[in-house]
Amino acid sequence: MRLTATNAESVELGLSVGTSLADARAVVPDLIIHDHDPVADADLLDRIADSCVRYTPMVAADPPDGILLDITGSAHLSGGEAQLAEAVATWLRRKRIDARLARASSAEAAHALARFGHGANDEDESHAIRRLPVAALELEAESELGLHRAGLKTIGDVADRPRSVIAARFGAATVFMLERLTGKADSPLNPRISNPPLVFERRFVEPIASKVYALKVLQGLLEEARVKLAEDDLGGRAFETTFHRVDGRVQHVYVETGLPTRDPTAVTRLFDERLDGLADPLDPGFGFDMVRLSVPSTEPLRPWQDDIESETKAEDNTAELLDRLAIRLGRNRVLHFRPNSTHIPENSQIAVPAIDTSMIERWEPPLSGEPPSRPLQLFDPPQRITVIAEIPDGPPKRFQWRQKPRTIIHHEGPERIAEEWWRSTNDPIGRDQLTRDYYRIEDDEGRRYWVFRRGLYGREAADPNWYLHGLFA
Amino acid sequence: MSCFAELVAATNYSFLRGASQPSDMVTQAIKLGMAGIGIADRNSVAGVVRAYVALKDALEDLSAKQREQFGFKLVVGARLCFADDTPDIIAYPTTRHGWGCLTRLLTVGNLRATKGDCLLQLQDLLDHSEDLLLIAMGDDSHAAALRMLRDIAPDRLWLGAAMPRSGRDHRQLARQETLARKLGVPLLATNDALYAEPDDRQLHDVVTCIREGTTIAEAGKLLAANAERHLKSPNEMARLFNAYPEAIAASTEILDRISFTLGELKYEYPNEPVPGGWDPQDWLEHIVLEAAKERWPDGIPDKANQLMEEEFTLIRSEGYANYFLTVHDLVKFARNQDPPILCQGRGSAANSIVCYLLKVTSVDPVEHNLLFSRFMSKERHEPPDIDVDFEHERREEVMQYVYRRYGRDRAGICATVIHYRPRSAVREVGKVLGMSEDMTTLMVSTVWGSHSGMMKDTRIEENGFSLDNPEIIRLKLLVDRILQFPRHLSQHVGGYVLTQGRLDEIVPIHHAAMEDRTFIEWDKDDIDALGLMKVDVLALGMLTCIQKSFDLMRLHGLGDYELDTIQHEDKRVYDMLCKGDSIGVFQVESRAQINMLPRLRPRKFYDLVIQVAIVRPGPIEGDMVHPYLRRRSGEEKVHFPSPDPPHDPDELKDVLGKTKGVPLFQEQAMKLAIVAADFTPEDANRLRRAMATFRNVGTINQFEAKMVEGMVARGYQREFAQRCYQQIQGFGSYGFPESHALSFARLVYVSSWIKCYHPAVFTCALLNSQPMGFYAPAQLVRDLREHGGEVRAADINHSRWDSTLEATDSGALALRLGFRRIDSFRKEWAERLMQARGEKNFATIEDLARRADLPRRALRLLADADAFRSIGKDRRQALWDVRRMPKGELPLFAAARQRELREEDDQPLPAMPLVDHVVADYQTTRLSLKGHPMEFLRERFTSEGVLSCADTDAAKHGSRVRTAGVVLTRQRPGKGNAIFITIEDETGTVNALLWARHINRLRRPVMASRLMLLEGEIQRSKEGVVHLMTTNVIDRTGDLDHLSDTHFTNPETTKGDKLANRQPSPSHRHPRDVRILPKSRDFH
Repeated sequence: MRLTATNAESVELGLSVGTSLADARAVVPDLIIHDHDPVADADLLDRIADSCVRYTPMVAADPPDGILLDITGSAHLSGGEAQLAEAVATWLRRKRIDARLARASSAEAAHALARFGHGANDEDESHAIRRLPVAALELEAESELGLHRAGLKTIGDVADRPRSVIAARFGAATVFMLERLTGKADSPLNPRISNPPLVFERRFVEPIASKVYALKVLQGLLEEARVKLAEDDLGGRAFETTFHRVDGRVQHVYVETGLPTRDPTAVTRLFDERLDGLADPLDPGFGFDMVRLSVPSTEPLRPWQDDIESETKAEDNTAELLDRLAIRLGRNRVLHFRPNSTHIPENSQIAVPAIDTSMIERWEPPLSGEPPSRPLQLFDPPQRITVIAEIPDGPPKRFQWRQKPRTIIHHEGPERIAEEWWRSTNDPIGRDQLTRDYYRIEDDEGRRYWVFRRGLYGREAADPNWYLHGLFA
Repeated sequence: MSCFAELVAATNYSFLRGASQPSDMVTQAIKLGMAGIGIADRNSVAGVVRAYVALKDALEDLSAKQREQFGFKLVVGARLCFADDTPDIIAYPTTRHGWGCLTRLLTVGNLRATKGDCLLQLQDLLDHSEDLLLIAMGDDSHAAALRMLRDIAPDRLWLGAAMPRSGRDHRQLARQETLARKLGVPLLATNDALYAEPDDRQLHDVVTCIREGTTIAEAGKLLAANAERHLKSPNEMARLFNAYPEAIAASTEILDRISFTLGELKYEYPNEPVPGGWDPQDWLEHIVLEAAKERWPDGIPDKANQLMEEEFTLIRSEGYANYFLTVHDLVKFARNQDPPILCQGRGSAANSIVCYLLKVTSVDPVEHNLLFSRFMSKERHEPPDIDVDFEHERREEVMQYVYRRYGRDRAGICATVIHYRPRSAVREVGKVLGMSEDMTTLMVSTVWGSHSGMMKDTRIEENGFSLDNPEIIRLKLLVDRILQFPRHLSQHVGGYVLTQGRLDEIVPIHHAAMEDRTFIEWDKDDIDALGLMKVDVLALGMLTCIQKSFDLMRLHGLGDYELDTIQHEDKRVYDMLCKGDSIGVFQVESRAQINMLPRLRPRKFYDLVIQVAIVRPGPIEGDMVHPYLRRRSGEEKVHFPSPDPPHDPDELKDVLGKTKGVPLFQEQAMKLAIVAADFTPEDANRLRRAMATFRNVGTINQFEAKMVEGMVARGYQREFAQRCYQQIQGFGSYGFPESHALSFARLVYVSSWIKCYHPAVFTCALLNSQPMGFYAPAQLVRDLREHGGEVRAADINHSRWDSTLEATDSGALALRLGFRRIDSFRKEWAERLMQARGEKNFATIEDLARRADLPRRALRLLADADAFRSIGKDRRQALWDVRRMPKGELPLFAAARQRELREEDDQPLPAMPLVDHVVADYQTTRLSLKGHPMEFLRERFTSEGVLSCADTDAAKHGSRVRTAGVVLTRQRPGKGNAIFITIEDETGTVNALLWARHINRLRRPVMASRLMLLEGEIQRSKEGVVHLMTTNVIDRTGDLDHLSDTHFTNPETTKGDKLANRQPSPSHRHPRDVRILPKSRDFH
């Protein structure tokens, strides 16, 4: 692992980009590191670029760390180029982003000046360009070294030589780059086109005062959304509606689904459920002037044929039901069980919000020909019982539960289950934990129990306790 | 007498499955009172020898009478795990023949797999089942396979049954019983053990996670539900299987049917080297006598005759003649090559006159009064072990010869067991416990090197982790237990086992990672323990260097020498060594050795032997160095500690006479234990094994009380006894026996002699043997120049691939650097260039390009290394011109091969400043003949009051100085109390010593600096050794940026502008541009 970025303090301490993490740690043991996340970096760059639309519509991201603005024709809006630059700098400072700004007559020149120039833009541009180091040409390392070795250190040094001399040694591309930097060749800017988010809205000339009508409009928007989603083979997992009132108040309503969908009826039903349950009911006041629907989360959804196999339908109904229940009762209240890989019986399943899992997990099938090894009902916590059993690890002969003595006639076991030593709070490797010996037993009245002894006799406990953990059907 | 034996027991040689050492399994089985134990690892017999040794050790602890009654029996085999759906089968050979079948079977599986795996099929077992007892761990679903096995091995198959406490054990057991009855095979009770004690469960869970690549929190049901798979006592097993007493009894029945033990692996030496009609012993005696006559043409001295007779007798009675002849055969092969491959035996073989006369070793035991019994003795019954070093660049030829001559089915390389080391253990266990890699990396960041024994508490705390944190304790507890666990097998560097019969009938064979290599499953300790024969074909860089020196000397008419014809005891050589002038010399070139030389002042060969042996962890940790030096210089009387009467007061004089009463060699420590601490020869033998073979941290300590108390009881001072013991402990890791030190001292002398008389030859040979030794080429070249030698830069019209020697006008020899010094330059380019050059030098760049047909890249590298000076072009101009050469092939037709590049209309390039040249030299060849980077910074440092290295070296004792230089080496030896740093500038070098207590404060600059400023006090020993006792270190690497603006991007950046100073992303920069100076060499 290597460092991909360093801040000013770490540079002071002698770290630089490309140092291996182990080396860096040896130098600065208390170094704070974060994982390199190029996607997040690109995302941030995109977001900054998006926001720059306030200065000019012609914005291009210049990955990995640059943004290019074509301010031709828009600088006067800020009162001139210098003022515009100042405004951008102030704005970025406020956002706590370190930035280096440069203005030039071509994108390449601005790019180079920002990275290799010395900051202030107060001198003649061609002069500044000539004083840039040859690194600004962004050649291959080998060619750059070649220029250095020849004693050509600045763009000016290179530009003073005949173009043919340079081209013969460093290729036509170098000359072309040189021309671009010095503004002799043109390069168009590649502006950003952002992906339009899935937003559907309806504005009204006259504010509408009827809630019923507003919901009708929403239905229309959902229909629009369905068409759009179907085009891309997508379905929504979340839908958000905002109702904008004339007086500026905005009401948000948000629903989620367990499976992707684009069925307007189903989503309308969810919205209805949510609106009915709102503590602050939808109130048109002096009227809504806009209703907007957005689909913030989508997943692929292939088109399907209706009603050919009724089984598919049935499953969808369950999903729909789960969605409605979740909306009505709250997402954390409709749960379903998932298997959890552990030997500890009470932890071998966990309940998670049903809406979070569209995938049905596979439960371990019971061994064929074997009786069930776990009871249907578990006591939480297990109930203490008094037992008469053979030492060290014989099955219970008799035990007392709920004031009633029970005599055992059949038994099987023990099934020995050790605690998870890494979860122990007292001993780091769980040497003080007690192992459980489970027995499946049946009494003379045909009742079947699941009991365990806590602690191995002699090795872990002198007089282990017994517990009833569950009942078999 | 107990009636149960666990026959399905795995050890940690079932890699990442078993969780106990083989010795722990055996010890626990004995403790539980079992009748015996069967060790069977997964498709491997790698751990069985350790079990065998553990049992032998246990027996040695008993009195003779107890031994007789001791009924415990170890049987060894393997658990066969199949690639098809055959159940696991545990196979135990009953006879030597059966063992051969088993190892051949495993070999078949090993060689079928591509990497480290063993792919077995049922058919393989059916083909190799003779004399094997089989225990099948199957159930109903395997009925078909079981029936086939029963048919081929009707009375040799058992069905294994276990009580894993799964909740349905009894039903399961009843089903197994029914199956067994149906098949007509007996049932065998077993616990299918994976570890010795229930407490090993945690470790077993951890190795399971490592194997499955998961964490403990996520492993879930991959882990075992309980801790039941430990060894259980016979009583417990009888209780569990009380319904099936015959299943318990079956275990001892199996035990009784097995007569095979590993002790039966009788070794047969290859017979190749003996000519037809000769008996091996007669042939050996014949050639040794012939050699003796040649060695002593005026008559063989009586003493030599006597020694030979003594050795012949022993070799005859033990039947080792073939072994000596086999080693001789390898050595003869090496010497008969053209040019010959230099070789020399090391280790205790140097005690033998037979080895000397066979030219296996080059130390004359007659002259040095060495005892053959140290090499081999009747009492020890151990086969001789001869290690031979060959020139490192040509060892492969010898290895291929071994395969050619003995065949792949009779020759194999030993394995090396790779153990968990602190770094790997912390990293892997940490991962299992869910710690981030950053955290574990940080935790081991101050473990220098990979061999630092245990993970010390302080190391963890040093890195800012609290030992109060349960997670850290958990990690440490587990790491401490997994250390010394085997991790995987790898091939040994050069230890060969050669046999007369099939090797795969002794031990399974594996494919090695290197193509065309196979290795066996046992390592050298196993082979020693079983008494098998091994010959080490090792590589030694210094032999390459010496051979190249001899070649150069012959070429330049400086004499025709061989290892044993260099003049002995030359005063000038010792004068040079006494000054500590030993850069490049074998063994005595390290900082610590160089410091020792002026104090020890070697004046004769034996002094070198001591010099080699004394700067080792053994004598240092035993605090033997200073007493020896004081006695040698006469400051202290030579005194032999004596015991109380009635013991012989002079008993130590024999043992320690040669070394002035101070134990320095390994065998002295042994002898000390026998003579002064009343060790029996068996005890001493075990102590020796604990020291030399299974380097087990645990075993050696049990001897402490025995030795110290033994000596005290005889009237020695406790403090002396303690020191002796500490030294033995130190030897455990690195100790030299006297004969080994002697062999090495030969090479020390020879290399010193060459350096002394032919420094240019020596440096040239060293450069051509790189990488080797302690110093980088820059230091070697510098050393030569300081000795008045002339060094010339690589040049297209003068250099060859290797560095060469050229006669100067004055008749002396100058060193011409070869093209191999140029980074990334290829040998094939150099050869093409040399061929094209022939007799006629190149006149222009085009001339070179055309005649040698070199690619543009080669030309650029040559130009950048400033190799065009002979045609009047410096680096800058040459590079400028080379860049212009057209791409690709030059025109096909000779007519077009004229000077075709037009003159250009351009101003000349600016002249290249010297400093730029120096920097570029370092970047391309890692050394510069034009200057030292520090001289360009001198003014800056002088203005700060920083002394040059030469001035520092001359400063008064006790004065406080500041000095700066480029870091050559950083070293933290032994226990890590001190860090040695060597820095260099244009005037010389300074050796600095930094106590470890400063390291926390100074870690950053110490570890990261390329250019270092040191502050401290001068300490000057009376022998004139100067050290800077450093108290502060300042990283001045940044100053290198000011050397040359060529390499740094922005000439106009003001210093305060940090952002502008930031380095561009490294993706499109060659590391060479960032690095001005080559990395220092750091040793651990």
